[in-house]
Amino acid sequence: MTVAAIQQTEEIFCSALEVSDAAERQVFLNEACAGDAVARAAVEQWLSAHAKAEQFFQESGPAVAPAMAALQAFARERDIGVGLGTEAALEDAEGQQIGPYKVLQKIGEGGCGVVYMAEQEKPVRRWVALKIIKLGMDTRNVVARFKAEQQALALMEHPNIAHVLDAGATATGRPYFVMELVRGIKLTDYCDQNKLGVRARLELFNQVCHAVQHAHQKGIIHRDLKPSNILVTLHDGVAVPKVIDFGIAKASEEPLTDNTLFTAFDQFVGTPAYMSPEQAEMSGLDVDTRSDIYSLGVLLYELLTGRTPFDQQQLMRSGLTAMRRTLRETEPRPPSTMLTALRHEQPAGGTNKNPGETRKYISMVRGDLDWIVMKALEKDRRRRYESANGLAEDVQRYLNNEPVQARPPSPFYRFQKLVRRNQITFAAIAAVTVALVLGLGTSTWLFFREREARMEQVRLRQAAENRQKLTQAMVMLTHNQFEQADQLIHGVPATEVGLEYAYIYRTLSGWHAVHRRWQQAIERFAVVLQMGMVDDGDHTMDYLRYGPILVGAGDMAGYERFRRAAIARYGRTMNPVFAERVVKISLLTPTDREVVRALRPLAELATQSLAQSGPDVDVGLAAWRAFSLALMKFREEDDVEAVALCERSLGYFFSNASLNASDKLVLAMAHFRLGQSDLARSELGQSRREIENNRASNPDGYWYWFDWMFAEVLLGEASAMIEK
Amino acid sequence: MSDVTLLLHAVERGEEQSAEDLLPVIYEELRRLAAARMAHEAAGHTLQPTALVHEAWLRLVNEEDRTWRNRAYFFASAAEAMRRILVEHARRKARFKHGGGQQRLNVEDLNLAQSTPDEKVLLIHDALEQLELEHPERARIVVLKYFSGLTNREVAETLGLGERTVDRHWVCAKVWLLRKIEEQS
Repeated sequence: MTVAAIQQTEEIFCSALEVSDAAERQVFLNEACAGDAVARAAVEQWLSAHAKAEQFFQESGPAVAPAMAALQAFARERDIGVGLGTEAALEDAEGQQIGPYKVLQKIGEGGCGVVYMAEQEKPVRRWVALKIIKLGMDTRNVVARFKAEQQALALMEHPNIAHVLDAGATATGRPYFVMELVRGIKLTDYCDQNKLGVRARLELFNQVCHAVQHAHQKGIIHRDLKPSNILVTLHDGVAVPKVIDFGIAKASEEPLTDNTLFTAFDQFVGTPAYMSPEQAEMSGLDVDTRSDIYSLGVLLYELLTGRTPFDQQQLMRSGLTAMRRTLRETEPRPPSTMLTALRHEQPAGGTNKNPGETRKYISMVRGDLDWIVMKALEKDRRRRYESANGLAEDVQRYLNNEPVQARPPSPFYRFQKLVRRNQITFAAIAAVTVALVLGLGTSTWLFFREREARMEQVRLRQAAENRQKLTQAMVMLTHNQFEQADQLIHGVPATEVGLEYAYIYRTLSGWHAVHRRWQQAIERFAVVLQMGMVDDGDHTMDYLRYGPILVGAGDMAGYERFRRAAIARYGRTMNPVFAERVVKISLLTPTDREVVRALRPLAELATQSLAQSGPDVDVGLAAWRAFSLALMKFREEDDVEAVALCERSLGYFFSNASLNASDKLVLAMAHFRLGQSDLARSELGQSRREIENNRASNPDGYWYWFDWMFAEVLLGEASAMIEK
Repeated sequence: MSDVTLLLHAVERGEEQSAEDLLPVIYEELRRLAAARMAHEAAGHTLQPTALVHEAWLRLVNEEDRTWRNRAYFFASAAEAMRRILVEHARRKARFKHGGGQQRLNVEDLNLAQSTPDEKVLLIHDALEQLELEHPERARIVVLKYFSGLTNREVAETLGLGERTVDRHWVCAKVWLLRKIEEQS
């Protein structure tokens, strides 16, 4: 494709991408490509490659961890003083003064930062939690965004929310957040350690919901609700859950684009197992309060079963696209089902943290609680609870033994989900139904469809393979790798070769010819000829190639047919260049009167053109023309004229060695016939030397190998005549 | 004053410094950072080039020197450094896998569908080299995005292009690269 065409393809492709609706996209393409099938095909190709490319690039992101491990090993090997702890710890802030805070002790480390206990001196003396975010994309931005929220955060006053007090940047430019120090343990751990039953867990959960509701009313979405962000402390012996990190996730968040699922942090913004489907999509869809509701659903699920609906490790391992698809489409098992399954897996139940395996526990969960959880976990956020309070209220109703709002979905709704999940299966069923109606055996019908599809696949694949080979061969030829190129294209059927690849076959044909592998030369050239039948361009150059090959191969009958065909095709041409070439190539061997007579008009044309050529004539053309005419005269047995024309040809200031050689050969033969044998022999010797020189310096042939081949054929004739 | 700052000052004065000059310094810094981080990371944590490059930026360059222009040079260098680190590592691994002693991984030997992340890096690297010959500007964008993890906007600001242009180039480049890779495997 030309540069302009490629440009155009790209533009259409990019615009097409912006049209998300498939039907509309087709309309757009119809308009944009306006009947240009080639362009349309190109764009479609790009579009289908697009999805694959996106996936490929996303999933190849995290190659760094093993790389870094190896780097470290490498450094160790080379004894480079790169620390294994000798390097000052990046994160070790203990003992440092950061703003008005004195860092005392590290109390935790998470994916996105390290948390320290610190002492604040001014304006008030207290202990706080100081979280240094591991890596700031742009600290100014992070802090700025936080400050934007700070107003709203300051308005939050809730017993179950840990205050975020301050934000700033360390001396080394890392953002940090200062929070109310909450001394407690993760909600899930707390429940497990104290072996809480269903009721107790739910009561704690409700407090969390109220906290989240409070924040939502202030316009703050947490975005990263998970057990490690909910700590349980004891106030006067009463367990109080506190949600921490409000406002941090958002402030630290980068606009999520294709490559920033892993942002400046080492893990997802949000943890995949707790991420709502719309967060995972990162489609730019506004994440709203309902995203938090989803996370609450996950939390509740985990409180009840000890597991998240989807296994975190598995999600991360499956790669980005699979993860999104799972979150978007796969229905998780209801909690009671999960519990039952877990119970069967580990009958002993001592080692792992199943909150409850007793039948009683499971029966409490089954039913209403299941539906509450599932409602919070709905993929479609419109079907979730509208507010955190709504969720808490339903839980409360359950605790009060009142009927809950959450209902198992209607049979129709379930059927719809089933269809969506199993679209392929349904299509197959439809296919079978059709087959039965048509009276074909299902298996036969499917077999035929499959076979056709398979054959089509094979065809397509082979076509693509062939194209690949041909393209590769082109490249090889530019590096003079004749052997390799020849082998590569060996099996490609002639019909598969597009015109743009003619170059390959011409070149290889010449290469074979120069090495006197006539059969292969002919084979390769046959492909070129086949193309020639297809288009209506100038074939005379190809004639110049093919003629010598046939003669060289000794296929005299073939050569006869060839020249008759050439004459038939170009007999009436008005183009002197074509005329001259046809003349030349048809007279490579001695011939009969009939051919000569047929060539006369062409020779006339060439003669006229030669006569008309003034001082600014193209010497190359003129020289060749003179030669061709000389050859004609020679074949007509007009030796005197032949000599004159040869000398004229040699007289042009045009140093083409092959032409010189050919001129001298015809000269030699004409002189010989005129009785000047010594002169003839001398000229013969000169030509021979020139031909041999060329062979020596261009063993694989060169651009105009066929001109040399022409000369060699004449050499054969001349030496037979003169040296017999 | 660090070497980097000196170089960047030279840039400010208008002396054209190539990203190459910054490269050794940044390369070293990245490796140090990487190794130090590894010492503190729990096993299985994923490290991101983005993070490292930004950290290096913060560490190597003072606040007042962190202009957009300097940033452009810095990130371009860092991205190249990152690229080398990754390719170097991937090649080393590949040598083990495909039989030691091979100087250069034969792209033809890789099966695209089954390639590991390391092999992918190599495939992308090879294709990228070809892209550099055909569309140098586009290749620059790819390097910044893929090895530095900059957002479209950051790339745009770094290279002085429109954000939309960057986005288009990136999308088209990915398709181009994948097709190139597929051609060769």
